[in-house]
Amino acid sequence: MARKEYDNPKAEMTPMIDVVFQLMIFFIVTIKQEDIFSKLNANRPAPNAAATQSEENDTQLKIDIGRKGVVFNGTGMSFKDLDSNIKRLAASSTKSTVLIRCAADSPHGFLVQVLDICNKYKMYNLSIFSMD
Amino acid sequence: MKKPKNEDVSLDMTPMIDVVFQLIIFFVVTLKMSDDKDTTIKLADGKNGIVLTQEELPPSQLTIDVARSGRVSLANVTMSKSMIVSAIKKRVAAYGTDFPCMIRADKATPHKYVAEVMGWCTEAGMWKLSFVAIQEHKSKN
Repeated sequence: MARKEYDNPKAEMTPMIDVVFQLMIFFIVTIKQEDIFSKLNANRPAPNAAATQSEENDTQLKIDIGRKGVVFNGTGMSFKDLDSNIKRLAASSTKSTVLIRCAADSPHGFLVQVLDICNKYKMYNLSIFSMD
Repeated sequence: MKKPKNEDVSLDMTPMIDVVFQLIIFFVVTLKMSDDKDTTIKLADGKNGIVLTQEELPPSQLTIDVARSGRVSLANVTMSKSMIVSAIKKRVAAYGTDFPCMIRADKATPHKYVAEVMGWCTEAGMWKLSFVAIQEHKSKN
């Protein structure tokens, strides 16, 4: 059998480079930057411990979350006001328990905002109650 | 002025191909398939929370997704109450109650759905829960 004669023994690079560039463009375009997530810790009161726990702590902050906004220790306020109130209280003690009571139809975003404010001022004793 | 003489006009491709291959390998490796969670969920902002890095999360962690509609899912698979409770119970049996149990709920999810999931966690013995929020926006939407 006659052997094929190669004039040019060099491999053809052009198609490979084309493919590789296509791949690169594909990956650059499809790459998606992920958001940076954070986690906000909270406690769920144990069903039987709830009653005893609330009597042990003398200082308690009550935050009610409704459908429209927040009520802090009985007064409705904006998240900005809540922020300054928590800041003031956290300055004296960060140990006090924060009771967060959520209405059934309150958006989860409000709860996250409240937890975020508490985390900002290092209040870590957070208990979430749900109301019907 | 004397012009330098170009004896060989053909370009040397080898270094360029090397670089391009390196880039491709980089992108292939860093590409993360994110279909293991409910992508419809729009999280609320939580700038002051503890930063979550996917790499640092122990394999014992459990993330429960709660969509705006109240759909509860694990790894983008819709789950019933009994399935979630048994999943948590299994983890409590294996790791105790210290594993991270996280709830990823949409910011518009009514609290009753989240409360329901929190109730299931309590039922399975988990009191310590965390909520996932966004510390810093990076993606376009």
